[in-house]
Amino acid sequence: MISSALGVWNYWVVFLLMMIGLFLVIGRQNFLKKIVGLTIFQTSVFLLYITFGKIKGGTPPILNNINETIYSNPLPHVLILTAIVVGVATTALGLSLVLRINSEYGSIEEEDISAQDLVDYHDQIETSKTVSIKFKK
Amino acid sequence: MDNNPILRIATKILFAPIILFGLYVQFHGDFGPGGGFQAGVIVASAFILYAIVFGLEKGKELFPLSINIFLLALGGILYGGVGIASMMLGDEFLSYNVLGSSQQAGQHIGILLVEFGVGLTVSNVMIALFYAFASFESSNGEKK
Repeated sequence: MISSALGVWNYWVVFLLMMIGLFLVIGRQNFLKKIVGLTIFQTSVFLLYITFGKIKGGTPPILNNINETIYSNPLPHVLILTAIVVGVATTALGLSLVLRINSEYGSIEEEDISAQDLVDYHDQIETSKTVSIKFKK
Repeated sequence: MDNNPILRIATKILFAPIILFGLYVQFHGDFGPGGGFQAGVIVASAFILYAIVFGLEKGKELFPLSINIFLLALGGILYGGVGIASMMLGDEFLSYNVLGSSQQAGQHIGILLVEFGVGLTVSNVMIALFYAFASFESSNGEKK
Protein backbone atom coordinates (compact mmCIF):
# COMPACT_ATOMS: atom_id res chain seq x y z
CA MET A 1 0.00 0.00 0.00
CA ILE A 2 2.67 2.48 1.10
CA SER A 3 5.09 1.33 -1.59
CA SER A 4 2.46 1.80 -4.28
CA ALA A 5 1.69 5.28 -2.96
CA LEU A 6 5.39 6.17 -2.93
CA GLY A 7 5.87 4.57 -6.34
CA VAL A 8 3.93 7.42 -7.94
CA TRP A 9 5.88 10.17 -6.14
CA ASN A 10 5.85 12.28 -9.30
CA TYR A 11 2.16 12.80 -8.70
CA TRP A 12 2.78 13.74 -5.07
CA VAL A 13 5.23 16.40 -6.25
CA VAL A 14 2.66 17.61 -8.79
CA PHE A 15 0.04 17.77 -6.04
CA LEU A 16 2.35 19.65 -3.68
CA LEU A 17 3.43 22.20 -6.30
CA MET A 18 -0.17 22.71 -7.41
CA MET A 19 -1.34 23.40 -3.85
CA ILE A 20 1.59 25.78 -3.21
CA GLY A 21 0.70 27.67 -6.38
CA LEU A 22 -3.02 27.78 -5.56
CA PHE A 23 -2.29 29.01 -2.03
CA LEU A 24 -0.06 31.80 -3.33
CA VAL A 25 -2.69 32.88 -5.86
CA ILE A 26 -5.60 33.07 -3.40
CA GLY A 27 -3.75 33.74 -0.13
CA ARG A 28 -1.41 36.59 -1.02
CA GLN A 29 -2.37 40.23 -1.48
CA ASN A 30 0.71 41.18 -3.51
CA PHE A 31 0.14 40.90 -7.26
CA LEU A 32 3.75 39.96 -7.94
CA LYS A 33 3.45 37.04 -5.50
CA LYS A 34 0.21 36.02 -7.19
CA ILE A 35 2.09 35.79 -10.50
CA VAL A 36 4.81 33.70 -8.84
CA GLY A 37 2.02 31.41 -7.61
CA LEU A 38 0.54 31.14 -11.09
CA THR A 39 3.95 30.17 -12.47
CA ILE A 40 4.42 27.46 -9.83
CA PHE A 41 0.92 26.14 -10.58
CA GLN A 42 1.81 26.06 -14.26
CA THR A 43 5.00 24.12 -13.55
CA SER A 44 3.01 21.46 -11.71
CA VAL A 45 0.83 20.97 -14.80
CA PHE A 46 3.96 20.64 -16.96
CA LEU A 47 5.30 17.94 -14.65
CA LEU A 48 1.94 16.12 -14.69
CA TYR A 49 1.93 15.91 -18.48
CA ILE A 50 5.59 14.89 -18.71
CA THR A 51 4.85 12.10 -16.22
CA PHE A 52 2.01 10.85 -18.44
CA GLY A 53 4.30 10.73 -21.45
CA LYS A 54 7.24 8.91 -19.85
CA ILE A 55 7.45 5.16 -20.40
CA LYS A 56 9.96 3.09 -18.40
CA GLY A 57 12.92 2.27 -20.64
CA GLY A 58 11.48 4.43 -23.41
CA THR A 59 13.76 6.31 -25.79
CA PRO A 60 13.17 9.51 -27.75
CA PRO A 61 10.95 8.75 -30.77
CA ILE A 62 13.73 8.63 -33.38
CA LEU A 63 13.83 5.82 -35.95
CA ASN A 64 16.74 3.39 -35.48
CA ASN A 65 17.80 0.00 -36.76
CA ILE A 66 16.87 -1.93 -33.60
CA ASN A 67 13.53 -3.71 -33.85
CA GLU A 68 10.86 -3.32 -31.16
CA THR A 69 12.26 -0.18 -29.53
CA ILE A 70 10.00 1.30 -26.84
CA TYR A 71 9.35 4.98 -27.42
CA SER A 72 8.20 7.52 -24.89
CA ASN A 73 5.00 9.23 -25.99
CA PRO A 74 6.12 12.43 -27.77
CA LEU A 75 2.70 14.10 -27.80
CA PRO A 76 2.68 15.31 -24.12
CA HIS A 77 6.27 16.54 -24.51
CA VAL A 78 5.39 18.63 -27.56
CA LEU A 79 2.26 19.95 -25.86
CA ILE A 80 4.31 21.04 -22.86
CA LEU A 81 7.02 22.59 -25.03
CA THR A 82 4.30 24.81 -26.46
CA ALA A 83 2.80 25.38 -23.01
CA ILE A 84 6.17 26.55 -21.65
CA VAL A 85 6.49 29.12 -24.44
CA VAL A 86 2.91 30.30 -23.92
CA GLY A 87 3.63 30.41 -20.17
CA VAL A 88 6.55 32.80 -20.70
CA ALA A 89 4.32 35.05 -22.81
CA THR A 90 1.48 35.07 -20.27
CA THR A 91 3.92 35.77 -17.42
CA ALA A 92 5.30 38.72 -19.38
CA LEU A 93 1.75 39.99 -19.98
CA GLY A 94 0.91 39.65 -16.26
CA LEU A 95 4.09 41.46 -15.23
CA SER A 96 3.37 44.29 -17.65
CA LEU A 97 -0.12 44.65 -16.16
CA VAL A 98 1.47 44.78 -12.68
CA LEU A 99 3.83 47.53 -13.88
CA ARG A 100 0.91 49.57 -15.24
CA ILE A 101 -1.06 49.10 -12.02
CA ASN A 102 1.98 50.20 -10.04
CA SER A 103 2.39 53.35 -12.11
CA GLU A 104 -1.33 54.20 -11.78
CA TYR A 105 -1.89 53.42 -8.09
CA GLY A 106 1.64 53.54 -6.67
CA SER A 107 1.13 50.13 -5.08
CA ILE A 108 0.67 46.49 -6.04
CA GLU A 109 -1.07 45.43 -2.83
CA GLU A 110 -4.65 44.38 -3.46
CA GLU A 111 -5.93 46.07 -0.26
CA ASP A 112 -4.38 49.44 -1.13
CA ILE A 113 -5.80 49.35 -4.62
CA SER A 114 -9.34 48.44 -3.56
CA ALA A 115 -9.18 51.12 -0.84
CA GLN A 116 -8.16 53.72 -3.44
CA ASP A 117 -10.92 52.50 -5.74
CA LEU A 118 -13.45 52.84 -2.90
CA VAL A 119 -12.35 56.41 -2.22
CA ASP A 120 -12.64 57.23 -5.92
CA TYR A 121 -16.08 55.65 -6.02
CA HIS A 122 -17.34 57.72 -3.07
CA ASP A 123 -15.84 60.85 -4.62
CA GLN A 124 -17.73 60.13 -7.80
CA ILE A 125 -21.01 59.73 -5.87
CA GLU A 126 -20.38 63.02 -4.06
CA THR A 127 -19.68 64.93 -7.28
CA SER A 128 -22.68 63.39 -9.04
CA LYS A 129 -24.90 64.46 -6.11
CA THR A 130 -23.72 68.04 -6.25
CA VAL A 131 -24.14 68.05 -10.03
CA SER A 132 -27.71 66.79 -9.74
CA ILE A 133 -28.50 69.36 -7.05
CA LYS A 134 -27.12 72.12 -9.21
CA PHE A 135 -29.20 70.83 -12.08
CA LYS A 136 -32.39 71.03 -9.96
CA LYS A 137 -31.68 74.61 -9.08
CA MET B 1 24.95 47.16 -8.83
CA ASP B 2 28.02 48.07 -10.87
CA ASN B 3 30.03 49.04 -7.77
CA ASN B 4 30.33 45.47 -6.50
CA PRO B 5 33.63 44.00 -7.75
CA ILE B 6 32.63 40.38 -7.01
CA LEU B 7 29.56 40.62 -9.23
CA ARG B 8 31.43 42.45 -11.99
CA ILE B 9 34.32 39.99 -12.17
CA ALA B 10 32.04 36.95 -11.83
CA THR B 11 29.94 38.26 -14.71
CA LYS B 12 33.01 38.81 -16.88
CA ILE B 13 34.20 35.26 -16.15
CA LEU B 14 30.79 33.67 -16.64
CA PHE B 15 29.68 35.53 -19.77
CA ALA B 16 31.57 33.47 -22.36
CA PRO B 17 30.96 30.02 -20.79
CA ILE B 18 27.21 30.73 -20.62
CA ILE B 19 27.11 31.46 -24.35
CA LEU B 20 29.32 28.41 -25.04
CA PHE B 21 26.95 26.22 -23.04
CA GLY B 22 24.03 27.72 -24.94
CA LEU B 23 25.67 26.81 -28.24
CA TYR B 24 26.35 23.28 -26.96
CA VAL B 25 22.68 22.83 -26.01
CA GLN B 26 21.67 24.30 -29.37
CA PHE B 27 23.73 21.97 -31.55
CA HIS B 28 23.42 18.92 -29.31
CA GLY B 29 19.64 19.20 -29.65
CA ASP B 30 19.68 17.10 -32.83
CA PHE B 31 20.83 13.98 -30.97
CA GLY B 32 19.85 14.40 -27.34
CA PRO B 33 18.17 16.67 -24.83
CA GLY B 34 18.36 20.30 -25.84
CA GLY B 35 17.26 22.40 -28.74
CA GLY B 36 16.40 25.92 -29.75
CA PHE B 37 14.08 26.86 -26.89
CA GLN B 38 16.47 25.92 -24.09
CA ALA B 39 19.55 27.26 -25.88
CA GLY B 40 17.80 30.53 -26.66
CA VAL B 41 16.96 31.13 -23.01
CA ILE B 42 20.52 30.24 -21.92
CA VAL B 43 22.12 32.62 -24.43
CA ALA B 44 19.65 35.35 -23.48
CA SER B 45 20.49 34.86 -19.79
CA ALA B 46 24.12 35.82 -20.51
CA PHE B 47 23.10 39.17 -22.01
CA ILE B 48 20.49 39.77 -19.29
CA LEU B 49 23.10 39.04 -16.59
CA TYR B 50 25.45 41.56 -18.22
CA ALA B 51 22.69 44.20 -18.38
CA ILE B 52 21.66 43.59 -14.75
CA VAL B 53 25.20 43.88 -13.38
CA PHE B 54 26.59 46.69 -15.56
CA GLY B 55 23.37 48.63 -16.04
CA LEU B 56 20.85 48.85 -18.86
CA GLU B 57 22.84 51.45 -20.83
CA LYS B 58 25.95 49.24 -21.03
CA GLY B 59 23.77 46.27 -21.90
CA LYS B 60 22.19 48.17 -24.77
CA GLU B 61 25.67 49.22 -25.95
CA LEU B 62 26.71 45.55 -26.02
CA PHE B 63 23.55 44.37 -27.77
CA PRO B 64 21.58 47.25 -29.33
CA LEU B 65 17.81 47.16 -29.55
CA SER B 66 17.84 47.51 -33.36
CA ILE B 67 19.98 44.36 -33.82
CA ASN B 68 17.80 42.61 -31.23
CA ILE B 69 14.57 43.29 -33.15
CA PHE B 70 16.23 42.42 -36.46
CA LEU B 71 17.48 39.03 -35.21
CA LEU B 72 14.10 38.37 -33.60
CA ALA B 73 12.40 38.65 -36.97
CA LEU B 74 15.23 36.81 -38.76
CA GLY B 75 14.67 33.69 -36.64
CA GLY B 76 11.02 33.51 -37.63
CA ILE B 77 11.90 34.10 -41.28
CA LEU B 78 14.53 31.32 -41.13
CA TYR B 79 11.95 28.88 -39.73
CA GLY B 80 9.37 29.77 -42.36
CA GLY B 81 12.03 29.91 -45.06
CA VAL B 82 13.03 26.27 -44.46
CA GLY B 83 9.36 25.33 -44.86
CA ILE B 84 9.01 27.35 -48.07
CA ALA B 85 12.31 25.93 -49.41
CA SER B 86 11.08 22.36 -48.98
CA MET B 87 7.86 23.35 -50.76
CA MET B 88 9.92 24.84 -53.60
CA LEU B 89 11.87 21.58 -53.90
CA GLY B 90 8.64 19.69 -54.50
CA ASP B 91 7.55 18.32 -51.10
CA GLU B 92 5.28 19.39 -48.28
CA PHE B 93 5.82 22.35 -45.92
CA LEU B 94 8.71 21.64 -43.48
CA SER B 95 9.37 18.20 -45.00
CA TYR B 96 13.16 18.04 -44.57
CA ASN B 97 13.82 14.99 -46.74
CA VAL B 98 14.30 16.91 -49.99
CA LEU B 99 16.71 19.53 -48.56
CA GLY B 100 19.91 17.42 -48.78
CA SER B 101 21.46 15.00 -51.23
CA SER B 102 20.08 12.02 -49.29
CA GLN B 103 17.07 11.76 -46.95
CA GLN B 104 19.27 11.63 -43.85
CA ALA B 105 21.37 14.63 -44.91
CA GLY B 106 18.16 16.53 -45.59
CA GLN B 107 16.83 15.75 -42.12
CA HIS B 108 20.11 16.97 -40.56
CA ILE B 109 20.11 20.25 -42.47
CA GLY B 110 16.41 20.86 -41.86
CA ILE B 111 16.50 20.26 -38.11
CA LEU B 112 19.68 22.31 -37.73
CA LEU B 113 18.24 25.33 -39.55
CA VAL B 114 14.83 25.17 -37.88
CA GLU B 115 16.34 24.84 -34.41
CA PHE B 116 18.71 27.72 -35.16
CA GLY B 117 15.75 29.88 -36.15
CA VAL B 118 13.89 28.93 -32.98
CA GLY B 119 16.98 29.66 -30.88
CA LEU B 120 17.48 33.10 -32.45
CA THR B 121 13.85 34.08 -31.93
CA VAL B 122 13.60 32.80 -28.35
CA SER B 123 16.84 34.41 -27.18
CA ASN B 124 15.95 37.76 -28.76
CA VAL B 125 12.38 37.69 -27.44
CA MET B 126 13.74 37.13 -23.92
CA ILE B 127 16.22 40.02 -24.30
CA ALA B 128 13.51 42.24 -25.82
CA LEU B 129 11.18 41.45 -22.90
CA PHE B 130 13.96 42.30 -20.46
CA TYR B 131 14.74 45.60 -22.22
CA ALA B 132 11.03 46.48 -22.33
CA PHE B 133 10.53 45.83 -18.60
CA ALA B 134 13.81 47.39 -17.48
CA SER B 135 13.27 50.61 -19.46
CA PHE B 136 9.64 50.97 -18.38
CA GLU B 137 8.78 54.49 -17.24
CA SER B 138 5.57 55.17 -15.38
CA SER B 139 3.11 57.82 -16.58
CA ASN B 140 4.24 60.09 -13.73
CA GLY B 141 7.64 60.30 -15.39
CA GLU B 142 9.56 58.67 -12.53
CA LYS B 143 11.56 55.58 -13.30
CA LYS B 144 10.55 52.38 -11.51
